[in-house]
Order: sequence, then structure tokens, then C-alpha cells
Amino acid sequence: MIAWLLPPLGLLAGLMLGAVTLTPAEALSLLADPVQPLGQLLWQWRLPRVLAAGCVGALLALGGAVFQGVFRNPLAEPYLLGSAGGAAVGATVALLVALPLPQWLALPLLAFCGAWGATWLVLALARLADGTSIAALLLAGVAVAALLGAVRSFLMLALSDETVSLQAVLAWALGGVQTPSWRELAVLAALTAAALGLCLALARGLDLLGLGEAVAESFGLPVRRFVALAVLAGAFVVAVSVVWGGLVGFVGLMAPHLARWTSGPLHRGLLPRAAAIGAGLAMLCDGAARALLPPAEIPLGLVTAAIGAPFFLLVLAREARRG
Amino acid sequence: MTDGLGRRVVLARPPRRIVAIFASNTEMLAAIGALDRVVGVEAYTRFPPEVQGLPLVGGRLGFSAEAIARLEADLVVMTPARNAAHALTEPMSRIGVPTLVVTHRDLPQIFANLRLLGMATGQETVAEALVARLEARLDAVRMRLAGRAPVRVFMETSSTGRGVFGTIRPGSYSFDAVRLAGGESVFPDVSPNGPPLVSGEAILRADPDFYLVAGRPDQAAEVPHRTGFAALSAVRGGRVHVVSRAQFLIPGPRVVDGVENLARLLHGEAA
Repeated sequence: MIAWLLPPLGLLAGLMLGAVTLTPAEALSLLADPVQPLGQLLWQWRLPRVLAAGCVGALLALGGAVFQGVFRNPLAEPYLLGSAGGAAVGATVALLVALPLPQWLALPLLAFCGAWGATWLVLALARLADGTSIAALLLAGVAVAALLGAVRSFLMLALSDETVSLQAVLAWALGGVQTPSWRELAVLAALTAAALGLCLALARGLDLLGLGEAVAESFGLPVRRFVALAVLAGAFVVAVSVVWGGLVGFVGLMAPHLARWTSGPLHRGLLPRAAAIGAGLAMLCDGAARALLPPAEIPLGLVTAAIGAPFFLLVLAREARRG
Repeated sequence: MTDGLGRRVVLARPPRRIVAIFASNTEMLAAIGALDRVVGVEAYTRFPPEVQGLPLVGGRLGFSAEAIARLEADLVVMTPARNAAHALTEPMSRIGVPTLVVTHRDLPQIFANLRLLGMATGQETVAEALVARLEARLDAVRMRLAGRAPVRVFMETSSTGRGVFGTIRPGSYSFDAVRLAGGESVFPDVSPNGPPLVSGEAILRADPDFYLVAGRPDQAAEVPHRTGFAALSAVRGGRVHVVSRAQFLIPGPRVVDGVENLARLLHGEAA
């Protein structure tokens, strides 16, 4: 139930919060009267921004849910698995290096390649150590994230000019939703819906994988091929979210957990609920990011980290107790 | 002499080989007639044109004390930005090369820096005359604009590409320059200490009469195409303009050119 309440709550909070904070009644009456300058502002800027934040949150949650399922690891999430960091390195290259591709194509393409490559690298390193342990995956994630952070920092130092590019890359790294036009929002919403469909198609396989690789094989799941496909799908989902929202950590960790607590572990029910919770969380956090320090904005990634890091520790403690 | 960090700097004799870190310091040395003594600059320095080809002592990846030592510099002038003061004052003091750190928060400080560099290089008279000329030009602008109401402007100094934009803040020389040119920032309350950033939403809400982009023409051309920005009064009235970064964001004598040019842009023939 709470899963379906969060998105409207996040939407309302997102509409109220910003450089000027409104009461719910003011926000709704201004939406009904778009002739007023503030009403125009709500329609032209705040509403598309809030909805875009919702899509980014939903994508991160889907990415997290798929990665947690495929790695059978409750701490897997795009940020910690290196896929978000990989996407950011790809995006940094697209922003700072003159490529023979238009930027609207280079950005998502390189973000996807970065996300996919980094996820595989983490997975391979974890398997080298001990594929089944949480510690192995976490440590591999930490190592790859440190490496990717260093690569990104070097690229920023070496390739940026005095102002524009460096700020753009830094804004990516700290996370922050770009305000789309209504047409761009339609594209993002369509991609989010496609991502949900893609992840739902993986639901049965993820459920089987949860029973163990041998059992999954015995049910006829080609495990290796399925894992490869699921990582590819997860990387695609994360890359779309990074293109629109930069590096936003912990939503992909929190949302699937909250969904699992309310709907159980079966992915057909879990995935849409995780997406709804992710959307609601991101809209709430983005609203806070816009309202806490007007007329400036706090990068969204800082807000989600402030909430997500304690949540991560909570999950880690639970897992440690469980052994 | 006392420099911008409050340090006592003693020069035994007028320096002959000066390394100037940051464009503003090179410009000031040039303006007081000491450019022929500048033997090294950093990679972002592009003005005056004579500095092209001078040895570089740093740039994107920091500054090299060794490169400065190799140039046999007898004075290093710098600004406490990009870690320069932190990275250079200590090694320079070890090898006995005096360093002068200048700060430039507001316009009076820029003029004080010209006088300070004049004193350091033995060009006091030239520096004093230059400052008098610059102040007279500003007085002339002030006279021409007397009685005219200030124009509400937004000056965009950078963009994160994520709907957040850099702007000028109170207490800075750029803010002073806009005010002297007969403008007033639509964000007079941006904290002098916090990030000089404002959200797109705040700009739309403030609805400035003039939208100034301190940057390239293509950056200004992009402004009307941003989500929601077509509704801004400045966009609808065709009052989105490019202003020179060198004249507003480099704390040197060219700021006065910026004031004169912007006054003409905002107030037309009257200025």
C-alpha cells in the first residue's frame, strides 16, 4: 500500500518545494491557473522537473532490484556495483572529449558502455575472490568505484577548460535532475516504461535464480546467458538514469528493500513496487534539494547519500546478524 | 609591503624576473608597464598578446615550483585560487624567492592591487596615474547615469548543464561592475560565502529585464531554448546579451572597459 502512496506524495511535495515553497492548496490552485507567472513556472519548470526526478528514481530502483536479484545480494545497487560510476566515466568522456558523434548520441552510448563494462569488471573481480560472499562483491565494488573515481577526476583535471565543462562534469558526479521540456519528458517516460517492461520480462528468471544456480538450471533457466542478459538490461536502465540524473546513490538500494518488505521477494510484484517507491523517494529528495538553500540547489546525490548511507548500514547490520 | 594574505613581504631590490600566476596578475603587471619583466605565466593567460610564447609554469594540473626556480624568478605574484598559494609560497620561501599574494574581492581591492604591484616593481608613479585614470572613467560613467533607475539584470557566469547557473554575488568586483554600469542583480542576496549558484527556477521567478551571459555567443543563443526560458521578459524582449568574460571575470584593469560597455548596453546613448 505504502508503495503506491509514495509517488503521489512525492509529486505533491515536489510541486510544493522549490526556490519558493508553496502550500498544497497554493500549488494546486496555481496549477489550475497557468496564466499567472508562478502558475506558468509550475507548469514549465517545476512539474516536468519533478516528473523527471520520478522517472530517474524509478529507473534507479529497477536497476537496483535487477542487480540485487541477479547477484543474489541485498547490498547490490548501481552506485556500489560501479555501474553508475562507469556510466559517469563514459559521460565524462562524452562531455569533455571531442568525438566524431553528436553529443545526444555520444552521451547515452558511452554512459551505457561505461555502466556495462564496470558492472562486469566488479562481477569478475568478485568471482575471482569468492562469488557468493557479500564481502567479495562489496570490496570489488569499492575497488572499482575508487578506480573509476580516479579516472574521472583525472579526466576532469586534464581535459576541462576553466569553467563550463568542469562544472558540468562535477554536477554529474554529484547528481542532479535536468529539467526536461515536455517532449523530452515524454521520451524519458517512454524509456522508463520500456525499462519496467524489460525488467518484468526478467522477473521469472530472477525468481528462479534466487533459489540457487543449480535449481534454476534444473528448471530450464540457461543461467549464464540469463545473467549476461540481466546485467546488460541493468546497465541499460542505469545508463538512462545517469544520463538524466547524474550519479544518484542509494535510491537503487533503498527502493527494492522497502518494496521487498511490503510485497515479498517475488519479482513480478517487487519490480513495479520498487519503481514506485524509487520514484516517490527521488521526487521527495529532489524537492528537498531544491528547497533547502534557495536560490541555489543542493545536488540531489548529496541528499540521497545523507539518507541512503544510514539505510545501507542498517541493511548491512541485518545481513551480518543473519550471517 | 603587506600582501593579500596579511604577510610582510620584503624585496631587497626591484624584481627583474617576475612569474605571474593567473591572467589578472599578468594583466595588472602589463598595465603598470612591467610586462617586459614577466618571464613566466600559467596556461590560461592569454592577454596581452605578448605573453604568448612565454614559458609556462603550470595550468590544468597545478603549478610547478621547479619550473619557477628554473626561470630564476625573483618575484612570484599569485592569487589564492586553484591551490596556487598553498602549493607555491612554502617552496618559494625555502629557495628564497619572495611571493606576493594578491586578493581581489571588490573593485577597490583591484585598484589597491595595482598600487601594490606598482610599489613592488618600482612603478609607483605609473600605477598611481593608471588608477587615477580608471577612477576618472568610472566617475564619468557615474555622472552620465545620475538619476537613471537601475536595470534589473541576471548575469550568468557558468552553467552546470543540469539547470543550475553560476552568477555574481555581492561583495565581488563583478557585482560592483554591474552596479556601476547602472544595473542591479536580481539576486542581491546570494551569500558571499556560499556557492554562487542559482537554480533555473529562481531565474524564471526573478524574471530579469536583461539576461547577460559572460561567455560565448553560442551559450547566449542557447538561453531561449532552455525549458521555460522562452517566457522570460528578457528573452521575449530580445534582451539576452553576451558580455566579455575578460571584462567581468578577470580582476584586472579591463573591468572598467566592462563597466563602460555594459552601461551603454543597459542605458543606450545616455551612457
